[in-house]
Amino acid sequence: MRIPSPRAFRRARTPDVPLEVRLEVPPVAESPGPEVIAWARGLVKVYGSGQTAVRALDGVDVDFGRAEMTAIMGPSGSGKSTLMHCMAGLDSVTSGNVTVDGEVVSRMRERALTTLRRTRLGFVFQAFNLVPTLTAEENITLPLDIARRPVDREYFDSVVDAVGLRDRLGHRPSELSGGQQQRVACARALVARPAVVFADEPTGNLDSRSSAEVLGFLRHSVDELGQSVVMVTHDPTAASYAHRVLFLADGRLVGELRSPTPAKILAALGQLTGATTKAGPATEADADTAGPGSERVAGTGS
Amino acid sequence: MLRVALRGIRAHSVQFALSVLAVLLGVSFVAGTFSLRAMLSDTFGAIISTTVQGDAYLRGAEESASAPQIGQERGSRTRIPLGLAETVRSVDGVSLALPELGGPIVLVGADGTAVANGQAPSFGTGLDPRDPGATVVAGRLPAAAGEVALESATAQTSGLAVGDETKAVIAGVVTPVVVVGEVDLGAPSAGATLVFIDPATAQELYAPDGLVSSIVVYADEGVSEKDLVTSLSSALTAAGADVGPAGAQAVTGDQARAEATASVNDVLGFIGTFLLVFAGISLFVGAFIIANTFAMSVRQRQREFALLRAVGASPRQVFVSVIAQAAVVGLVGSALGLLAGIGLVAVLRAVLARMGMDLSGGIPIEPETVAISIATGTVVSIVAAAVPARRAAVIPPVEAMRDDVATEDRSLRVRAAAGSVSLVGGILAVFLATDDRVTSAGTWLGVGAAATLVGILLLAPAMVRVALAILAGPFVAMFRPLGRLARGNVTRNPRRTANTASALLVGMALVGATTVLAATAQASTRTIVESESTADFIVQSATRDVPPDAVAAITALGSVGRADVMSFAAAQVSGPDHSQPTGTTLAGITDGAFGATLDVVVIEGSVADLPGGVAVQRSTADAQGWAVGDILTVTTDTMTVELPVRAVIDSRILPAPLVLPASTLAELVPDVQRSINAVLVNAADGVDEETLRGDLTAAVAPFVVLSVQTNEELATSLADQVDRILVILYALLGLSIVIAVLGIVNTLALAVIERTREIGLLRAVGLGRVQLAGTITIESVLTALFGTVVGVTVGVALASALPFVFDDVGLSTLAVPWPQVIGMVVLAVVVGILAALWPGARAARLPVLQAIAQE
Ligand SMILES: Nc1ncnc2c1ncn2[C@@H]1O[C@H](COP(=O)(O)OP(=O)(O)O)[C@@H](O)[C@H]1O
Ligand SMILES: [Mg+2]
Repeated sequence: MRIPSPRAFRRARTPDVPLEVRLEVPPVAESPGPEVIAWARGLVKVYGSGQTAVRALDGVDVDFGRAEMTAIMGPSGSGKSTLMHCMAGLDSVTSGNVTVDGEVVSRMRERALTTLRRTRLGFVFQAFNLVPTLTAEENITLPLDIARRPVDREYFDSVVDAVGLRDRLGHRPSELSGGQQQRVACARALVARPAVVFADEPTGNLDSRSSAEVLGFLRHSVDELGQSVVMVTHDPTAASYAHRVLFLADGRLVGELRSPTPAKILAALGQLTGATTKAGPATEADADTAGPGSERVAGTGS
Repeated sequence: MLRVALRGIRAHSVQFALSVLAVLLGVSFVAGTFSLRAMLSDTFGAIISTTVQGDAYLRGAEESASAPQIGQERGSRTRIPLGLAETVRSVDGVSLALPELGGPIVLVGADGTAVANGQAPSFGTGLDPRDPGATVVAGRLPAAAGEVALESATAQTSGLAVGDETKAVIAGVVTPVVVVGEVDLGAPSAGATLVFIDPATAQELYAPDGLVSSIVVYADEGVSEKDLVTSLSSALTAAGADVGPAGAQAVTGDQARAEATASVNDVLGFIGTFLLVFAGISLFVGAFIIANTFAMSVRQRQREFALLRAVGASPRQVFVSVIAQAAVVGLVGSALGLLAGIGLVAVLRAVLARMGMDLSGGIPIEPETVAISIATGTVVSIVAAAVPARRAAVIPPVEAMRDDVATEDRSLRVRAAAGSVSLVGGILAVFLATDDRVTSAGTWLGVGAAATLVGILLLAPAMVRVALAILAGPFVAMFRPLGRLARGNVTRNPRRTANTASALLVGMALVGATTVLAATAQASTRTIVESESTADFIVQSATRDVPPDAVAAITALGSVGRADVMSFAAAQVSGPDHSQPTGTTLAGITDGAFGATLDVVVIEGSVADLPGGVAVQRSTADAQGWAVGDILTVTTDTMTVELPVRAVIDSRILPAPLVLPASTLAELVPDVQRSINAVLVNAADGVDEETLRGDLTAAVAPFVVLSVQTNEELATSLADQVDRILVILYALLGLSIVIAVLGIVNTLALAVIERTREIGLLRAVGLGRVQLAGTITIESVLTALFGTVVGVTVGVALASALPFVFDDVGLSTLAVPWPQVIGMVVLAVVVGILAALWPGARAARLPVLQAIAQE
């Protein structure tokens, strides 16, 4: 198995001309079919109460496709992380339903949630993904160890080879680079064959090269292993690895792109914030600053 | 800066609360010790001021040959004729002169057993109706033989009332008595059993040779103590006055009271020192916790300090702010500890009062107790925080900008090197101590043990990785992946784990050493009794003195083949070079006992022809260079004799340097100054043991406090005594273990806070709450095991040197109580589990998301 190089995607990138994209939110079915691995209906999340209450999610209806990579984008504070946490049962919902792989997450108790996380879900966070006292290998097999499930050696090997960490398995996190650490985290998220992998800005702290490796690997797991991945990102280049991009603003789903390219995504972001998008190819240098850049766009728009 | 420091305490209140608790426990012990001492001092002060009321005292002019023993103000001087009281009564200024007649008594209470409060003494006193010290509160004073009056507290504990008939063993004579009165002394009795008899009987029983230890003199109105003593002194020197064999002197009442107080304070000082040692251990252990708390809080607030430095605070200011926090912790902990200590004594007093031991009314709170307690707690806190404070001060301001605060842990090399030196030095000193040729071996052992312990404490961080890799093995194998996570957590910061475990290490080393010491003492006693005594039965007294009447009763039994008396007395002895005589103890053994009821190791000479000579213990012979054939000069209050050394023996059952035939001892020392410690009995031919036991038991029954035991039973009852003392030691050491447990709780709680994000991650990937708590529990158990295993090993190893060093004082048989040692390891597991309860629950309650989102 080979990690697709970012070059393969760069070819798909768009010309210098600003793009017109039509953004709309397609309606969702009341009870989705088997092509949907996780969904939410009427999802509301309010933090705090009274005067200081924050409506982080304000009635979100969303489907995440099976064997699909979905990116969630939106300005800072738009509720991306909250949506992911609610989907993954890391946070309770105020109202609405969340179903993952046939399980109604929003009604689960702590014990069931723990089991769910351990067996059906994979996580990749922006940083501090690994337990510092364990080796890379021990970190990867941690969810299986916790669940006291045997490690499927063949699958483990294929995952380890895919992330290219074979010679790093005995190292501790402190002896690995940031990119390697995130790849270990990805391998850990995948090794238990979860129904969905949730990744919150997995490349937020990485340089473009390491980002490409991690994203390529996630995409690869979808294409080759049939994995379902939901990923939050600020970075249009990162989002362009996905099959589908969802846009959030003020806790609502405001648009969706299929087969995205960095340019399309930039255009869509520009459109959403009402500002004129500065056209131009998303160079690798841009990719690094894309995160803060889009925040700035959002800031001027409000 | 001070405000920053105080805010810091508020923000990290949990951590600091635990430090305060550690100081509190240590200081409460210090404060408790001092106020207990003050209370006892008050109690005995009251006793002295009511019992030593005379304006002057007549007493022997010389220190008695008997070596003065701690707390024994009586009998430490030569005695004087009681007729002197009559002589001085006519002296100018004297209104009253009474001989002080008193001695041992055993009172049989309403329940038919001897009245006694633990180890508190039991005194019989001849009470003259003219004695102003006592007030009759019920009935009347005893006026004839067979009448007694009881001190109020004694009346209560004995259950006897005026008019009751009972028995008493007065000066070894069993006497039927009737209680005719109750007397109040105006002071607490401190548990002592006090019985009053009429002066004539007292004189007959307690001063059969007409000699008393002192005579109390009361002055006429308006005569000062000084003038009284002056006129008494001239009366004593006046021609014709019989002042006894060693002369008499007069001292003022004030001096007598001062001397009595001083001797009481000697004992209290000893008790105080003993307790303070444990208080010191507690504080030492507490210091580890304080140091650890500050080390961890400094580590966690690294960025905060860097920021302070970045905005212009000097290293000095940062240092002072951390020290200020330590001072606050110390002050608060000390103040609370002071209150807790006084509370502790109040509880103790109530408990003692219920057991019939009334002590003085209030618990005196002396300024010096307050000052010492507060100062100790505060200073210990500040000293413990000094190293972390220095580390905080030298944090470079750029650390504030660093994202991940990964602190470089300083190398352990210097510490390990220092530890190795101390350890090697300590072990060498211990080995030196076990060498027979070394003098002051005890000191070497003490210094060696201390150095070894310090060395181990210094080496502990370096040992953590290896030791825990081994200890954690079973956990890693059994609890996957919890064991591995826990092992990672305890080994990631060896210094912290070591410091946490050190508190327990010290406590467990002491407990380990104590159990070995106790087991060794018990095994040694057993060996001594069983190898040296060939008697069928040994008769002993709970009051240590077997009455001569009892010996007579035993000897008279038909079923008794031999009844050999083991008696002791004090004397002065000098060697063949006629050097300065030194105080010693003489043991008197009935002729022919050796080979019959006693079997001692004879190094040189023979004990068969002891009469007319003396046997010397090997240790004394070695120390003095005496050998068989040397002539020793033995001096007692009444005479001086020269005795040839007939044998050098090695005996532990005879705890005296010199052993002579009982007949010789009887010539040398008057009856009242000789005490019979034990009677060794062999059955007459053809009499079986049970018959003999029955006869003996019946014969000694009237004496109430005598016991008849086989060697086996005696060894067991001696072992029980050791156990009883041990309970106190364990209770005292238990405190240091409690503090150590707090230390583990503290470290775990802080570690949970420090690892919030990691815990969130683990929870996110599916670690259940119970599993998380389990991980923390294993961590705690591993820490506790580390401290215990290392501590017990050190303690047991050091204590194993004892028999080699103290062979000559009766610790001859090394015994390691393995069940107890294993028990301590089990205890460590329990301690670990207990310590993890709260931090584990805290960690489990952390919401997953907050843990992840934590900045
Ligand atoms: N634990 C919380 N308590 C209160 N408000 C929160 C909490 N977490 C998030 N919020 C608020 O909810 C909104 C959405 O946050 P988030 O989902 O983290 O945004 P994003 O990840 O898109 O930047 C923000 O306004 C944020 O301030
Ligand atoms: Mg976010």
